[in-house]
Amino acid sequence: MSVLALILGASMLREDSTRLQSAMPKVPENLPRWLNSRGADHLFYKAAPYNWAINRIPAFAQDMYATGVGHAMAYEALVTGKKGELESKTFATIDYVLKNPPSKPIDEAAVSPRFVQKYGYLEKVFDWAHTLHFQTIDVFTHPGWSDAQKEAEIERLWTFYSAEPYAISGLPMNMEYLDSFPYSGAFRQNYPKVNGLFWGYHWLQTVNYDMLFRVPTADQRPQYSLIGQRYHENELYKTDRDFMPMTAEMSPRFARRFPQIANAFDNLHMLHDNVNDILAQSNLSEADKATQVKVAIYRVLASTHKGEEPGEGEEKTLHDHRFPDGMPGMGMMIGSDENTMYMSGMGWMDMSECAHCSISLPEEGPWGATVSAEGWTMTVRCIMCARDMAAETPGRAIIRAATEDENRLLVMISDEEGNWSSNIKGIVFLEVFGEHPNCSVWSRAFTSRSAFEKFVGTVPELKGAKALSLEEWSKLNHATPDTYTKIDRPNPYRKGGAK
Amino acid sequence: MKYTAVVTVAGILCVQLASGSDHNNIDKERPLRFDDAYSIAYRSFEFQSGFRLDTFNRNKPVYNFRSELQYGFAKNKDFSIGLEPFISSESGKLIGNILELSYFEGVSREIGNNPAFGYRIDAGIPISGGTGTEFRVRGILTKTLGHYDKIHLNIDHYNSTSTAIGQRSMRMGAILGYSNPIGYPKAFDQTLLAELGIEQGLATGSGYNTWVGLGLRRQVSATAVLDVGLQFDLRRTEPEPRSPVRLTVGYSTSF
Repeated sequence: MSVLALILGASMLREDSTRLQSAMPKVPENLPRWLNSRGADHLFYKAAPYNWAINRIPAFAQDMYATGVGHAMAYEALVTGKKGELESKTFATIDYVLKNPPSKPIDEAAVSPRFVQKYGYLEKVFDWAHTLHFQTIDVFTHPGWSDAQKEAEIERLWTFYSAEPYAISGLPMNMEYLDSFPYSGAFRQNYPKVNGLFWGYHWLQTVNYDMLFRVPTADQRPQYSLIGQRYHENELYKTDRDFMPMTAEMSPRFARRFPQIANAFDNLHMLHDNVNDILAQSNLSEADKATQVKVAIYRVLASTHKGEEPGEGEEKTLHDHRFPDGMPGMGMMIGSDENTMYMSGMGWMDMSECAHCSISLPEEGPWGATVSAEGWTMTVRCIMCARDMAAETPGRAIIRAATEDENRLLVMISDEEGNWSSNIKGIVFLEVFGEHPNCSVWSRAFTSRSAFEKFVGTVPELKGAKALSLEEWSKLNHATPDTYTKIDRPNPYRKGGAK
Repeated sequence: MKYTAVVTVAGILCVQLASGSDHNNIDKERPLRFDDAYSIAYRSFEFQSGFRLDTFNRNKPVYNFRSELQYGFAKNKDFSIGLEPFISSESGKLIGNILELSYFEGVSREIGNNPAFGYRIDAGIPISGGTGTEFRVRGILTKTLGHYDKIHLNIDHYNSTSTAIGQRSMRMGAILGYSNPIGYPKAFDQTLLAELGIEQGLATGSGYNTWVGLGLRRQVSATAVLDVGLQFDLRRTEPEPRSPVRLTVGYSTSF
């Protein structure tokens, strides 16, 4: 990218007068005392039988380990006077590691000793949140437990995590506010390739949860062949994202079930962005950078928001904990309101509606499906919408859909030609095309023919309906439904509303 | 022989464990004698076991098997309990066994130009092959040297409650340790170690014992580290037996 293009891109992103512009933050009076603690304060993860189960999916585990190296190397370059090498030498070194990932977890502090000398308090926050990342993944990849046991353990992990002073808030936070400071955006503007890597890591760290959540362990690894390929070929090298990937965008099923954790990950990733931006500043002294890093930590700590509730708070402030309808696991984004938000690469979306037919999503499950393709994941009302939405998208896709058995999630993966494979042998489908508001009745998946017949027998309108095999069902296509409503508004991240 | 065994056991007494199963986290005797200034993580358990072969100039080799359990009972603090039996290669019999109790505290991490500082207090209680208790207080400084490599200065003070005639009841020692992770950016799973040590001999009025060591710690899984080390006595005061080569192999795992 040329210097001119960089400057133009920067001005497009930052000179939009409609965006919130906050003043340089001042040091709050109630800064936690531990920020000045001299101890290393290393914490061990919760002892449990599932620890390191992530290694059951070796390629995924290794990619996750490599993200730690990538974070650490970039930070080390930022604090050792090597900013000028970030986009060249440092990028190349990180890229080498990402392409040749370590087979065992790495100690980020060992890879970034100078960074930790300066910002040891920040490392405590990162380390503890990364531990939550890994342990939640370990729970889901552990083969010995039921989904109910896993979800109960995830709740316990959240409690365990939240008990430490370094814990990040699980409340939704206003991302526009958190990204509105004088330094905000500097890193992504000046170091787009390395920022792309950071946001690529965050894509991987958030997209994996729907890959794992309520998915039998045997069906997790096949999905990663697609997700890992996408990560290495596209997501790591994207420099045109408008904003960092959000957990609810990448793993909506998980984010609805565990909104606190989804929010904590987003707040963590925003802290990464804030720190990147602060360290990228040339006009801040070392002392000012340290101060601003502490203030950035303070903003997202759970202790800062103690007693506050999701859905409440003054608009576009530090304590704005509102969230879009239907998605408690995500804070408000730039330009968003209770109903709509702008998703980079997808445009304006209403997260309470089916992404394919625009009919409201039911409040209760089990129902519906998600479609993952081209790096995004969308929630749809029925499996027909999932199939037809995937068909509209080039490349491979994953559908995760409810069946009549709430303990058996259907996972289907398509090849480049749109041929689907299923994790449930003998899966049959019901599809008697009708009105979309009722699609969750006439478009369904069943784990067996007997389950299909049992359901059809309870709905008189479906009398005589044929059970479709995967092959028969795959050939159907009803295209974009008439009910679909595209929200046609400009991109709030770009000056002039470039789309 | 008995006196030699006692001296041998006493000479190797200052042996205990530290830190977590992370190849970057330097543990005393895993495989060299120095510590870094960091405790194991809060709430973690660490089990370490090792084998050491001491070759002596004028005596048969002695085998040593160490086992120790550590617990990070608070932030930056751990406690450990261990057993260290010595077996004669000549007779195949136990010639000494020591129960070790240790407390470690990491006082401060490395901040700016200030080194990390920690200390440990150890008590070695002979179960067999000796009398009295030997205490050791060790102060530890760890500082990043170039970029990834670090130096670790250990200053030791020994105090024995019961000593044979002609032996010191108090001694001093120091070890300068060096660690450097090797393989970046192609590998992140091993650390090279080296040390130069000096300590007062056991006998009253004797000079200083000195040694050098070279070791490697290798991460073999997410929770386990394998270590191997060689130490060479440069000088050993009489009547302590000089060990031209000391081989150490160990395994540590955290849970």
